[in-house]
Amino acid sequence: MTELTKTPSTPVAETWSRYRFPGSLYRFGSLLGVLVFLVYSLHFLNVDIPLLFGALGGLVGVVAERYYPPDLAYVTDPGYLATVVDTLQMSFLGAIAGVFLSIPLAWFSAFNVSPNQRLLFPLGRFGVISCRAIHETIWTILFVSILGFGMLAGVSALTMFCVGFAGKLFSDEIEAVDMGPVDAMRAAGANPFQVFVFAVVPQVRVAFTGIAIYTWDVAFRAATVVGFFGGGGMGWYLKRNVQQLENLRVGAIILSIIAMVLIAEFISGWLRKVVNRAK
Amino acid sequence: MSATDSLAGSLNLQTGLRRKRQLRLALIWGLFILFTAWCVNGTIIEDTDWSRIGGRSGVLASFGRYIQLDLGLVSELILPTIETFMMACVGTVLGCFFSLPVAWLGAANVTPSRHILYPVGRFLMVLSRSVHEIVWALIFVSAVGLGALPGILAIAMRSVGFISKITAEAIENIDAKPVEAIRAVGGNQFQVMYYGILPQIYPVVLATVIFEWDINIRRSAVMGLVGAGGLGLLFFRQMNSFNYGGVTMVILAILLLIVLGEVISHYLRKAVI
Repeated sequence: MTELTKTPSTPVAETWSRYRFPGSLYRFGSLLGVLVFLVYSLHFLNVDIPLLFGALGGLVGVVAERYYPPDLAYVTDPGYLATVVDTLQMSFLGAIAGVFLSIPLAWFSAFNVSPNQRLLFPLGRFGVISCRAIHETIWTILFVSILGFGMLAGVSALTMFCVGFAGKLFSDEIEAVDMGPVDAMRAAGANPFQVFVFAVVPQVRVAFTGIAIYTWDVAFRAATVVGFFGGGGMGWYLKRNVQQLENLRVGAIILSIIAMVLIAEFISGWLRKVVNRAK
Repeated sequence: MSATDSLAGSLNLQTGLRRKRQLRLALIWGLFILFTAWCVNGTIIEDTDWSRIGGRSGVLASFGRYIQLDLGLVSELILPTIETFMMACVGTVLGCFFSLPVAWLGAANVTPSRHILYPVGRFLMVLSRSVHEIVWALIFVSAVGLGALPGILAIAMRSVGFISKITAEAIENIDAKPVEAIRAVGGNQFQVMYYGILPQIYPVVLATVIFEWDINIRRSAVMGLVGAGGLGLLFFRQMNSFNYGGVTMVILAILLLIVLGEVISHYLRKAVI
């Protein structure tokens, strides 16, 4: 009752502002700190600031001048189309292998149902983080140096990428499950594996399917450049034409990549909608 | 009599539906397995030269080269690591600036024109996301030359899609009442934006930017592969001089940087939300 009748102890400020004194000082201070850091970074990195703004205007000019009439005949060449199919196959296999490998890792790295919170939880977390931390192009270079050029290296690199990507999303999904069934199973004496299969999987089945489809979509995007570093697929054509300065062909290849990524995005969006409806 | 009939009928219908569903599921799995088999055949069986890989011992030998760490590289790692970190920060901030107008165009309820500029905004979002960062970096390296600048621009362009998409969705989902209230007491367009829209979308946008920054650290670590400075350049040099221990050191440095980024973004996100 007292709270309702209490009058404000501080007088109302004459001009209203969104942030009062101490808060506004912290806010201003952190903003200033970020700004100073950014300016110092630009100085440290030797960035020519007029060039930075000139580059944006220049970009349009460069694209128009160098890449403009894209050599569309080149991308309808059967040899190029075969590498497009290769890219599709690589992304599909990489996504499948990655999703299957990431399910146990996600189980270990979800804190609420992890079979062993002391040992397996940090191990699973570390596995997922290190797969995610290393960019897919670095994975490609590493696998190419071990397995040689070709699609096997590309598939392996995409698998590592998908383990990181899907593992994080899966473990987030598992950590958000309803704990009721889990507790019930535990109380009835189920072991961690039984808890996972009978209490967690039925709750996350649909979400997992959606994430798996999304993983393929992202893997396809990554697969378009895997070939750039020797992993097979259309990236190889991109690299060859970039190095031969065949800019019109490069423009056509980039356009074809955009078109295919759009198609992949459309397909994955449609499939996810179907899966959600089938729930 | 009729009640049992209808019961039997509905049971029949249910088993029929169930059988149909099972059939469809079996069909989907069958297609899936066939497609997988086709992919395995195309990539792993036909395309791989197994004799060149050289069996298990060959793979283990080429893997073993990476294990001998080159500790002499530590002093050379510090500067590129700082560069990579700064490139990610500047690129993210620049990406935020670029994504402001894109989000403004691509949010259905505030866009200046629904028929012309709204599709343009949407198209820019898709364009930014569908071109891989390596390709963006290639374009910018050819446009502005070697150095950190093309890396920053590539990261910024790649971040625009995600940030502006989430921002536009946040703008579309705002509560219209504060906006109307500010308009009713005589606020101008800027005040409506600053006091009505911004406080509502601010937590979502900031969380997205932090998330994107976290991803941008790993992106900026590979910009050097196509000529844009940072750890990627060192990685490329070590790889080309066949100093595999040095390659491992660079990867460890990337891992360290990413873990640092995860920790910072975790605390920042907690502070924001």
